[in-house]
Amino acid sequence: MNRRAFLKTTGAALGTLAVAGLPALGQGGKLEGEDLANLEKALRDTLGKGFKDLTPSELVKLNMPAIAESGANVPMEVEVNLPPAQVKALHLFADKNPTPRLATVLSMKALPYYASRVRLAETTAVRAVVETQDGKLLLASASTRVTVGGCG
Amino acid sequence: MAIRVIVRLTPAKPKAGEEFKLQAVAQHPNEPGTRKDAEGKLIPAKYINLVEVYFEGEKVAEAHPGPSTSANPLYSFKFKAEKAGTFSVKLKDTDGDTGEGTVKLELA
Repeated sequence: MNRRAFLKTTGAALGTLAVAGLPALGQGGKLEGEDLANLEKALRDTLGKGFKDLTPSELVKLNMPAIAESGANVPMEVEVNLPPAQVKALHLFADKNPTPRLATVLSMKALPYYASRVRLAETTAVRAVVETQDGKLLLASASTRVTVGGCG
Repeated sequence: MAIRVIVRLTPAKPKAGEEFKLQAVAQHPNEPGTRKDAEGKLIPAKYINLVEVYFEGEKVAEAHPGPSTSANPLYSFKFKAEKAGTFSVKLKDTDGDTGEGTVKLELA
């Protein structure tokens, strides 16, 4: 096999691997590590609203790594494509954590953006909920596969 | 005990009207209260639950992190550069310990 053919075949194989390896939406549009019962409780405690009141939105961008080796230190980043004046608060949740609420951010004069490093107990879905001034709740979800948990 | 805080801006000298990130790193164990020590006893919770960012004495952002924040945490916010001044980041944990870090914003 010459070099060109080798690169072609391995490249194609790697490509399919990468696509198959994405922990994207599983069966029935469910995220990996989803735990709506646990999340629902935290949403009620923080917002007084349930999961049904949230609208998935393209305006909210949640960046999480697909795989985290250690759950003790997982980088996360949220960006909201809305004028700063329209964003009231930003809430972050992890479905499977003993305390699902990760943080609440009020960015009064700052741009609607927040980044931090969080602990994840196990493979979990992570949610960013944006509270707008007109009372809407926008949702973005992501899922991170955790090899070693960070809460135990 | 005071919490050590380091604050920096990226880019360090933004142009007027440019967006920049403010990143604060604290030296703190951020115990979530669910971890156990070598003898199997629970380590009591002690985590930072209030982060406030001030610009020239005016509060510009506020975060309330929960117990699930990593040890030696990073908090990052984004601002638009308008005028030069001093940012100060104030932290408070569940035991009432506080820390403060400052950084000067200079426009390029």
